[in-house]
Amino acid sequence: MPMYERGNVRIHYEEAGSGFPLLVIPGGGLNSTIAGLAASHPFDPMVEFADGYRVIAADLRNASGGQSSGPLEIDRPWDSYTDDHLGLMDHLGIREFMVLGFCIGGPFIWNLLKRAGDRVVAGVLTQPSGYRPTMPDLFYQNNIKGWGPGLCERRPDITMAMVSDFLNNMYTKRADFVFTVTRDFVRQCRTPILVLPDDVAAHPYAVAMETAHLAPNAQVSMYPWKANPEQVSLAVRHIGTFLKANRPASQAQQPVRAAAQ
Amino acid sequence: MPMYERGNVRIHYEEAGSGFPLLVIPGGGLNSTIEGLKTHPFNPLVEFSNEYRVIAADLRNAKGGQSTGPLEADRPWDAFTDDHLGLMDHLGIDKFIVLGFCIGGPFIWNLLKRAGNRVVAAVPVQPSGYRHEMPNLSYTNNMKGWGPELCERRPDIKMAQVDTFLTNMYGGERADFVYTVSRDFVRNCQTPILILPDDVPGHPYVVAMESAYLAPNAQVSLYPWKMNPRQTQIALRHVRGFLSANRPAAAARPLAAAAQ
Repeated sequence: MPMYERGNVRIHYEEAGSGFPLLVIPGGGLNSTIAGLAASHPFDPMVEFADGYRVIAADLRNASGGQSSGPLEIDRPWDSYTDDHLGLMDHLGIREFMVLGFCIGGPFIWNLLKRAGDRVVAGVLTQPSGYRPTMPDLFYQNNIKGWGPGLCERRPDITMAMVSDFLNNMYTKRADFVFTVTRDFVRQCRTPILVLPDDVAAHPYAVAMETAHLAPNAQVSMYPWKANPEQVSLAVRHIGTFLKANRPASQAQQPVRAAAQ
Repeated sequence: MPMYERGNVRIHYEEAGSGFPLLVIPGGGLNSTIEGLKTHPFNPLVEFSNEYRVIAADLRNAKGGQSTGPLEADRPWDAFTDDHLGLMDHLGIDKFIVLGFCIGGPFIWNLLKRAGNRVVAAVPVQPSGYRHEMPNLSYTNNMKGWGPELCERRPDIKMAQVDTFLTNMYGGERADFVYTVSRDFVRNCQTPILILPDDVPGHPYVVAMESAYLAPNAQVSLYPWKMNPRQTQIALRHVRGFLSANRPAAAARPLAAAAQ
């Protein structure tokens, strides 16, 4: 089981395939794990893109059911996870990469673009999370129930009061848009972005489309794109084209058509 | 005014830019002209000429265009496809990508059927198709909007010939799906396809989506994609990425670099 360690942080990751690096951030909120990709996601990038890319995914620090652990950094919740993403890339000797994230991966991608925009060649935001004004405490409630208790049980050093502070800093005090960056940041972001919108409670369509309309180099998939397997196939082909068109020229191998055969 | 001539066929075409060839088929039904591109949701001669050799032509016998030729009543679709392929030959082009609006959709499928080894990738934009609840739509539109003016310009053509031509083009067994090919053909077509659907009477959404679901290497744009300029820009970025990813490697350069 590959592990990246930095101080008291231990991150379990897996790799598949070879080629230009593609960091995959699973969905599942704060319980984002590699296992979730195959179990519950519309498609598994470790399978779909391993024939053309070095696909890397990790369990999120302190996710239930995962093997990653580390301190609860109450004062910098989003950045502590982004430290892990960037640290893992450093650990693997990767300078530039593309990133594809589900759900919570959306806000994480924006934070990566803010912190290391020169390293992120392109980003794919799949059913991205965002703030819904009609459900202002959705993420706090989801995680205080679905993540905090399990974490406190595993980790006697963490209390529910700490969890509450962490979640308030992560979501309540950042209750707008994509949580991690401003609209102005998105408006100025030249990085190619592909958004695959969703519209469940935690993944507001309006926010996904707002980012796509603001970002000057954004694309959007068909919608809906996961009501049946045929739709998912169409959307995955769009992602394949997007990745291929944006990976650095030195990494270009063969046309998508040849690769598909 | 560049002209390609083959026997008694004269095809007016225009080119813009350089790079891998991109054949553009304007919309407008049988009145498809280069000039018409200016009224389309986007003009490929403008949008893609920074990276591609973009080529567009007036359709043979289109109103307002400069292309002329016989009315081949026994082979309406193939007569136009002859012109598309003949123009590529004339320009010394073997392989190309094709992007077509409206009637360009059925033309693209016919090109794939007739010269699949030459068409590297295809983009049907707001493609035409058969709508069961309006079975005579294409016939009627062209009997009114194309035939009379053609007969006026061309004394050798009578409305009875136009009627036969349109019946062969849109009626009978062709009154289904995308007119030019079968569902089985689409099901077996490995060529990368990007479809930008529409849903006006002549451009049924269900047919566009059916072809996307059947074609094993298809993708679909966001929808709707032309209600405002921002949507169109998002769709155009998808088209650019699709073209870039599918053109032969020798013609490739990174999309991000091209955009800057």
